[in-house]
Amino acid sequence: MGTQASAQGSLRPLNISIGRVPLSLLIPGPHLREKALSRYREFTADSEGGLPVVLRSDAQSARRPECKDPNFSYVLDDASMLLDSFGAEFHGVRQEYALDSLLRILLTMVLLPQRGFLLHAATVVRDGRAYVFTGRSGAGKSTVASLSPAGTVLTDEISLLKFTDGRWQAYGTPFWGEFRAAGQNEHYPIAGIYTLVQSAEDRVESLTTKEVIRALLPCVLFFTSKVEANEDLLRLLLGFVGQVPCERLHFRRDDAFWKVIAA
Amino acid sequence: MNLFPERNPKLAWREIDGEAVIISPEDSHVHELNETASLIWTSADGRHSVDDIADAMAAKYDVPLPVAKADACELIEMLSAKGLLVSPKQPEVQAGA
Repeated sequence: MGTQASAQGSLRPLNISIGRVPLSLLIPGPHLREKALSRYREFTADSEGGLPVVLRSDAQSARRPECKDPNFSYVLDDASMLLDSFGAEFHGVRQEYALDSLLRILLTMVLLPQRGFLLHAATVVRDGRAYVFTGRSGAGKSTVASLSPAGTVLTDEISLLKFTDGRWQAYGTPFWGEFRAAGQNEHYPIAGIYTLVQSAEDRVESLTTKEVIRALLPCVLFFTSKVEANEDLLRLLLGFVGQVPCERLHFRRDDAFWKVIAA
Repeated sequence: MNLFPERNPKLAWREIDGEAVIISPEDSHVHELNETASLIWTSADGRHSVDDIADAMAAKYDVPLPVAKADACELIEMLSAKGLLVSPKQPEVQAGA
Protein backbone atom coordinates (compact mmCIF):
# COMPACT_ATOMS: atom_id res chain seq x y z
CA MET A 1 0.00 0.00 0.00
CA GLY A 2 3.04 2.25 -0.11
CA THR A 3 1.90 4.10 -3.19
CA GLN A 4 -1.52 4.69 -1.75
CA ALA A 5 -0.26 5.75 1.65
CA SER A 6 1.87 8.46 0.13
CA ALA A 7 -0.91 9.45 -2.24
CA GLN A 8 -3.11 10.06 0.78
CA GLY A 9 -0.56 12.57 2.01
CA SER A 10 -0.60 13.29 5.69
CA LEU A 11 -3.97 11.71 6.39
CA ARG A 12 -4.15 10.48 9.94
CA PRO A 13 -5.60 6.98 9.99
CA LEU A 14 -8.65 6.11 12.01
CA ASN A 15 -7.59 2.92 13.79
CA ILE A 16 -10.34 0.56 14.79
CA SER A 17 -10.53 -3.06 15.86
CA ILE A 18 -13.57 -5.25 15.30
CA GLY A 19 -13.41 -8.84 16.51
CA ARG A 20 -9.68 -8.45 17.05
CA VAL A 21 -9.24 -7.46 13.43
CA PRO A 22 -7.27 -4.21 13.45
CA LEU A 23 -8.08 -1.88 10.59
CA SER A 24 -6.45 1.38 9.71
CA LEU A 25 -8.95 3.54 7.83
CA LEU A 26 -7.57 6.29 5.63
CA ILE A 27 -10.53 8.55 5.02
CA PRO A 28 -10.22 11.64 2.86
CA GLY A 29 -12.46 14.51 3.79
CA PRO A 30 -13.36 15.61 7.31
CA HIS A 31 -17.08 15.03 6.95
CA LEU A 32 -16.90 11.29 6.28
CA ARG A 33 -14.14 10.89 8.81
CA GLU A 34 -16.26 12.50 11.51
CA LYS A 35 -19.17 10.27 10.59
CA ALA A 36 -16.94 7.20 10.77
CA LEU A 37 -15.43 8.30 14.06
CA SER A 38 -18.90 8.67 15.51
CA ARG A 39 -20.10 5.34 14.12
CA TYR A 40 -17.08 3.34 15.27
CA ARG A 41 -16.30 5.24 18.44
CA GLU A 42 -16.59 2.15 20.63
CA PHE A 43 -14.20 0.27 18.36
CA THR A 44 -11.35 2.75 18.04
CA ALA A 45 -7.95 1.31 18.84
CA ASP A 46 -4.77 2.94 20.03
CA SER A 47 -2.40 0.68 18.16
CA GLU A 48 -1.43 1.30 14.56
CA GLY A 49 -0.43 -1.31 12.04
CA GLY A 50 -3.88 -2.57 11.21
CA LEU A 51 -4.87 -3.66 7.72
CA PRO A 52 -4.79 -0.47 5.63
CA VAL A 53 -8.18 0.44 4.20
CA VAL A 54 -7.89 3.35 1.80
CA LEU A 55 -11.07 5.17 0.86
CA ARG A 56 -11.17 6.85 -2.50
CA SER A 57 -14.01 8.88 -3.84
CA ASP A 58 -13.27 7.92 -7.44
CA ALA A 59 -14.68 4.94 -9.28
CA GLN A 60 -13.12 1.51 -9.32
CA SER A 61 -11.49 2.15 -12.70
CA ALA A 62 -8.95 4.29 -10.89
CA ARG A 63 -7.54 1.29 -9.08
CA ARG A 64 -3.87 1.49 -8.30
CA PRO A 65 -1.58 -0.01 -10.94
CA GLU A 66 -0.05 -2.65 -8.70
CA CYS A 67 -3.45 -4.05 -7.78
CA LYS A 68 -4.23 -5.65 -11.10
CA ASP A 69 -4.99 -8.99 -9.55
CA PRO A 70 -6.77 -8.45 -6.25
CA ASN A 71 -7.48 -11.45 -4.05
CA PHE A 72 -11.05 -10.30 -3.84
CA SER A 73 -13.20 -7.59 -5.36
CA TYR A 74 -16.82 -6.64 -4.84
CA VAL A 75 -19.16 -4.08 -6.32
CA LEU A 76 -21.94 -2.70 -4.17
CA ASP A 77 -24.16 -0.23 -6.00
CA ASP A 78 -21.94 2.80 -6.71
CA ALA A 79 -19.19 1.67 -4.37
CA SER A 80 -16.67 -1.12 -4.70
CA MET A 81 -13.76 -2.71 -2.91
CA LEU A 82 -10.51 -4.40 -3.77
CA LEU A 83 -8.56 -6.55 -1.37
CA ASP A 84 -5.06 -7.87 -1.79
CA SER A 85 -2.31 -8.95 0.55
CA PHE A 86 -1.30 -5.33 1.20
CA GLY A 87 -4.68 -4.01 2.21
CA ALA A 88 -8.02 -2.88 0.88
CA GLU A 89 -9.27 -0.03 -1.24
CA PHE A 90 -12.81 1.24 -1.06
CA HIS A 91 -13.93 3.22 -4.09
CA GLY A 92 -16.90 5.50 -4.53
CA VAL A 93 -17.67 5.73 -0.81
CA ARG A 94 -19.43 9.00 -0.19
CA GLN A 95 -21.37 8.32 2.97
CA GLU A 96 -21.03 6.22 6.08
CA TYR A 97 -23.61 3.63 5.10
CA ALA A 98 -21.55 2.53 2.11
CA LEU A 99 -18.46 2.44 4.32
CA ASP A 100 -20.33 0.29 6.82
CA SER A 101 -21.47 -2.16 4.14
CA LEU A 102 -18.02 -2.51 2.62
CA LEU A 103 -16.46 -3.03 6.05
CA ARG A 104 -18.83 -5.94 6.64
CA ILE A 105 -17.85 -7.45 3.31
CA LEU A 106 -14.17 -6.91 4.01
CA LEU A 107 -14.45 -8.53 7.42
CA THR A 108 -15.98 -11.69 5.97
CA MET A 109 -12.84 -12.16 3.91
CA VAL A 110 -10.36 -11.23 6.63
CA LEU A 111 -12.07 -13.32 9.30
CA LEU A 112 -12.25 -16.55 7.32
CA PRO A 113 -8.56 -17.54 7.66
CA GLN A 114 -8.73 -16.42 11.29
CA ARG A 115 -11.51 -18.92 12.00
CA GLY A 116 -14.23 -16.32 12.20
CA PHE A 117 -17.40 -15.33 10.38
CA LEU A 118 -20.27 -12.87 10.44
CA LEU A 119 -23.76 -14.19 11.02
CA HIS A 120 -27.17 -12.57 10.75
CA ALA A 121 -27.90 -13.01 14.44
CA ALA A 122 -28.69 -11.18 17.63
CA THR A 123 -26.41 -11.91 20.56
CA VAL A 124 -27.44 -11.46 24.16
CA VAL A 125 -25.06 -11.80 27.11
CA ARG A 126 -26.33 -13.56 30.20
CA ASP A 127 -24.20 -14.60 33.17
CA GLY A 128 -21.06 -13.87 31.22
CA ARG A 129 -21.92 -16.06 28.26
CA ALA A 130 -23.18 -15.22 24.82
CA TYR A 131 -26.46 -16.58 23.49
CA VAL A 132 -26.68 -16.26 19.73
CA PHE A 133 -30.09 -16.11 18.04
CA THR A 134 -30.07 -16.49 14.29
CA GLY A 135 -32.59 -16.60 11.52
CA ARG A 136 -33.62 -14.87 8.37
CA SER A 137 -35.26 -11.49 8.33
CA GLY A 138 -38.45 -11.62 10.37
CA ALA A 139 -37.43 -14.69 12.37
CA GLY A 140 -37.36 -12.74 15.61
CA LYS A 141 -33.80 -11.48 16.15
CA SER A 142 -34.94 -7.96 16.94
CA THR A 143 -37.75 -9.34 19.09
CA VAL A 144 -35.29 -11.31 21.18
CA ALA A 145 -33.08 -8.25 21.50
CA SER A 146 -36.00 -6.05 22.50
CA LEU A 147 -37.00 -8.55 25.19
CA SER A 148 -33.54 -8.47 26.76
CA PRO A 149 -32.44 -6.08 29.50
CA ALA A 150 -30.61 -2.94 28.44
CA GLY A 151 -26.87 -3.45 28.19
CA THR A 152 -27.06 -7.17 27.60
CA VAL A 153 -27.49 -7.05 23.83
CA LEU A 154 -24.14 -7.40 22.07
CA THR A 155 -25.77 -6.87 18.70
CA ASP A 156 -29.28 -7.12 17.31
CA GLU A 157 -28.31 -7.80 13.69
CA ILE A 158 -24.80 -8.97 12.82
CA SER A 159 -22.86 -11.23 15.18
CA LEU A 160 -19.15 -11.82 14.83
CA LEU A 161 -18.23 -15.34 15.90
CA LYS A 162 -14.58 -16.28 16.12
CA PHE A 163 -12.43 -19.01 17.59
CA THR A 164 -10.01 -17.28 19.91
CA ASP A 165 -8.19 -18.28 23.08
CA GLY A 166 -9.14 -21.90 22.54
CA ARG A 167 -12.89 -21.44 22.27
CA TRP A 168 -15.63 -19.94 20.16
CA GLN A 169 -16.53 -16.45 21.24
CA ALA A 170 -19.04 -13.82 20.19
CA TYR A 171 -17.70 -10.32 19.60
CA GLY A 172 -19.59 -7.08 19.65
CA THR A 173 -19.83 -5.25 16.34
CA PRO A 174 -20.80 -1.78 15.25
CA PHE A 175 -23.23 -3.35 12.79
CA TRP A 176 -26.72 -2.95 14.16
CA GLY A 177 -30.25 -3.16 12.88
CA GLU A 178 -33.30 -1.58 14.44
CA PHE A 179 -31.57 -0.73 17.72
CA ARG A 180 -29.06 1.62 16.08
CA ALA A 181 -26.74 1.30 19.04
CA ALA A 182 -23.03 2.06 19.03
CA GLY A 183 -22.18 -1.49 19.97
CA GLN A 184 -19.91 -2.87 22.63
CA ASN A 185 -16.34 -3.82 21.88
CA GLU A 186 -16.48 -6.86 24.13
CA HIS A 187 -16.47 -10.60 23.65
CA TYR A 188 -17.92 -13.54 25.51
CA PRO A 189 -17.71 -17.32 25.21
CA ILE A 190 -20.66 -18.70 23.30
CA ALA A 191 -23.15 -20.66 25.40
CA GLY A 192 -25.17 -21.77 22.40
CA ILE A 193 -26.67 -20.80 19.10
CA TYR A 194 -30.37 -20.94 18.46
CA THR A 195 -32.24 -20.83 15.18
CA LEU A 196 -35.46 -18.94 15.79
CA VAL A 197 -38.97 -20.12 15.09
CA GLN A 198 -41.88 -18.10 16.44
CA SER A 199 -44.32 -20.50 18.03
CA ALA A 200 -47.13 -20.90 20.52
CA GLU A 201 -44.79 -22.52 23.02
CA ASP A 202 -41.26 -22.19 24.29
CA ARG A 203 -39.10 -25.23 23.65
CA VAL A 204 -35.79 -26.22 22.19
CA GLU A 205 -35.38 -28.85 19.52
CA SER A 206 -32.20 -30.80 18.87
CA LEU A 207 -30.77 -30.61 15.37
CA THR A 208 -28.50 -32.86 13.40
CA THR A 209 -25.26 -31.45 12.09
CA LYS A 210 -26.74 -31.28 8.62
CA GLU A 211 -29.82 -29.44 9.88
CA VAL A 212 -27.64 -26.90 11.65
CA ILE A 213 -25.54 -26.32 8.53
CA ARG A 214 -28.75 -25.96 6.51
CA ALA A 215 -30.00 -23.36 8.99
CA LEU A 216 -26.74 -21.45 9.29
CA LEU A 217 -25.64 -21.20 5.68
CA PRO A 218 -28.34 -18.75 4.54
CA CYS A 219 -27.55 -16.56 7.54
CA VAL A 220 -23.78 -16.37 7.08
CA LEU A 221 -22.55 -13.20 5.43
CA PHE A 222 -20.37 -14.37 2.57
CA PHE A 223 -19.63 -12.65 -0.68
CA THR A 224 -17.04 -14.58 -2.63
CA SER A 225 -17.71 -17.12 -5.35
CA LYS A 226 -14.27 -18.67 -5.02
CA VAL A 227 -14.62 -22.40 -4.52
CA GLU A 228 -11.71 -22.63 -2.08
CA ALA A 229 -13.19 -19.96 0.14
CA ASN A 230 -16.56 -21.70 0.15
CA GLU A 231 -14.85 -24.97 1.03
CA ASP A 232 -13.10 -23.17 3.89
CA LEU A 233 -16.42 -21.77 5.08
CA LEU A 234 -18.02 -25.21 5.12
CA ARG A 235 -15.05 -26.61 7.02
CA LEU A 236 -15.22 -23.73 9.49
CA LEU A 237 -18.95 -24.16 10.09
CA LEU A 238 -18.54 -27.88 10.64
CA GLY A 239 -15.89 -27.17 13.24
CA PHE A 240 -18.18 -24.59 14.84
CA VAL A 241 -21.14 -26.98 14.95
CA GLY A 242 -18.92 -29.62 16.50
CA GLN A 243 -17.96 -27.37 19.40
CA VAL A 244 -20.95 -25.13 20.06
CA PRO A 245 -24.41 -26.34 21.12
CA CYS A 246 -26.80 -25.59 18.27
CA GLU A 247 -30.56 -25.96 18.68
CA ARG A 248 -33.81 -24.72 17.19
CA LEU A 249 -35.69 -22.42 19.55
CA HIS A 250 -39.46 -22.28 19.31
CA PHE A 251 -40.47 -19.17 21.17
CA ARG A 252 -43.42 -16.95 21.91
CA ARG A 253 -42.94 -13.23 21.68
CA ASP A 254 -42.00 -12.85 25.34
CA ASP A 255 -38.95 -13.47 27.46
CA ALA A 256 -40.11 -16.82 28.82
CA PHE A 257 -37.84 -18.58 26.34
CA TRP A 258 -34.92 -18.04 28.70
CA LYS A 259 -36.41 -20.71 30.95
CA VAL A 260 -35.82 -23.37 28.33
CA ILE A 261 -32.34 -22.35 27.21
CA ALA A 262 -30.64 -21.00 30.31
CA ALA A 263 -32.20 -23.05 33.03
CA MET B 1 -24.44 -41.00 -20.46
CA ASN B 2 -21.28 -39.77 -18.79
CA LEU B 3 -19.11 -42.91 -18.68
CA PHE B 4 -16.57 -41.34 -16.35
CA PRO B 5 -18.56 -38.84 -14.30
CA GLU B 6 -16.71 -36.00 -12.65
CA ARG B 7 -17.72 -33.50 -10.01
CA ASN B 8 -18.17 -29.96 -11.21
CA PRO B 9 -14.96 -28.25 -10.01
CA LYS B 10 -16.85 -24.98 -9.52
CA LEU B 11 -18.70 -26.41 -6.53
CA ALA B 12 -17.68 -26.52 -2.88
CA TRP B 13 -18.74 -29.48 -0.82
CA ARG B 14 -18.31 -31.43 2.37
CA GLU B 15 -19.62 -34.77 3.46
CA ILE B 16 -21.75 -34.58 6.60
CA ASP B 17 -22.84 -37.81 8.27
CA GLY B 18 -22.29 -39.70 5.03
CA GLU B 19 -24.26 -37.26 2.90
CA ALA B 20 -22.86 -34.56 0.63
CA VAL B 21 -23.72 -30.90 1.12
CA ILE B 22 -22.78 -28.94 -1.97
CA ILE B 23 -22.59 -25.17 -2.38
CA SER B 24 -22.76 -23.50 -5.74
CA PRO B 25 -20.77 -20.32 -4.97
CA GLU B 26 -21.99 -18.49 -8.04
CA ASP B 27 -25.62 -18.50 -6.97
CA SER B 28 -25.26 -19.55 -3.29
CA HIS B 29 -27.55 -22.49 -3.95
CA VAL B 30 -27.13 -25.40 -1.56
CA HIS B 31 -27.70 -28.96 -2.72
CA GLU B 32 -28.11 -31.82 -0.31
CA LEU B 33 -27.67 -35.37 -1.54
CA ASN B 34 -28.99 -38.53 0.03
CA GLU B 35 -26.68 -41.40 0.88
CA THR B 36 -26.92 -43.12 -2.50
CA ALA B 37 -26.41 -39.97 -4.52
CA SER B 38 -23.57 -39.06 -2.19
CA LEU B 39 -21.84 -42.35 -3.01
CA ILE B 40 -21.94 -41.41 -6.67
CA TRP B 41 -20.83 -37.87 -5.92
CA THR B 42 -17.81 -38.93 -3.91
CA SER B 43 -16.89 -41.55 -6.53
CA ALA B 44 -17.23 -39.14 -9.43
CA ASP B 45 -13.58 -38.22 -9.79
CA GLY B 46 -13.30 -38.63 -13.57
CA ARG B 47 -11.38 -41.88 -13.17
CA HIS B 48 -14.06 -44.24 -11.89
CA SER B 49 -16.44 -45.44 -14.58
CA VAL B 50 -20.16 -45.92 -14.28
CA ASP B 51 -19.46 -49.65 -14.02
CA ASP B 52 -17.04 -49.03 -11.14
CA ILE B 53 -19.66 -46.97 -9.35
CA ALA B 54 -22.37 -49.56 -9.99
CA ASP B 55 -20.07 -52.22 -8.54
CA ALA B 56 -19.61 -50.14 -5.41
CA MET B 57 -23.35 -49.57 -5.09
CA ALA B 58 -24.15 -53.25 -5.58
CA ALA B 59 -21.66 -54.18 -2.90
CA LYS B 60 -22.75 -51.53 -0.42
CA TYR B 61 -26.49 -52.05 -0.75
CA ASP B 62 -26.41 -55.75 -1.57
CA VAL B 63 -28.46 -55.43 -4.76
CA PRO B 64 -28.00 -57.19 -8.13
CA LEU B 65 -25.51 -55.46 -10.38
CA PRO B 66 -28.03 -54.66 -13.16
CA VAL B 67 -30.27 -52.94 -10.63
CA ALA B 68 -27.34 -50.99 -9.22
CA LYS B 69 -26.23 -49.92 -12.66
CA ALA B 70 -29.71 -48.75 -13.62
CA ASP B 71 -29.92 -46.72 -10.41
CA ALA B 72 -26.44 -45.33 -10.96
CA CYS B 73 -27.26 -44.24 -14.49
CA GLU B 74 -30.46 -42.56 -13.37
CA LEU B 75 -28.74 -40.70 -10.56
CA ILE B 76 -25.82 -39.64 -12.75
CA GLU B 77 -28.22 -38.21 -15.28
CA MET B 78 -30.08 -36.38 -12.54
CA LEU B 79 -26.87 -34.95 -11.04
CA SER B 80 -25.64 -33.97 -14.50
CA ALA B 81 -28.92 -32.24 -15.28
CA LYS B 82 -28.50 -30.16 -12.11
CA GLY B 83 -25.00 -29.20 -13.17
CA LEU B 84 -23.35 -31.03 -10.32
CA LEU B 85 -21.48 -33.40 -12.62
CA VAL B 86 -19.63 -32.04 -15.62
CA SER B 87 -19.86 -33.12 -19.23
CA PRO B 88 -18.51 -36.51 -20.29
CA LYS B 89 -14.83 -36.69 -20.90
CA GLN B 90 -12.18 -39.34 -21.30
CA PRO B 91 -10.57 -40.57 -18.09
CA GLU B 92 -7.06 -39.50 -17.32
CA VAL B 93 -4.56 -42.10 -18.54
CA GLN B 94 -1.67 -42.81 -16.25
CA ALA B 95 1.72 -42.33 -17.89
CA GLY B 96 3.18 -45.67 -18.90
CA ALA B 97 -0.14 -47.41 -18.44
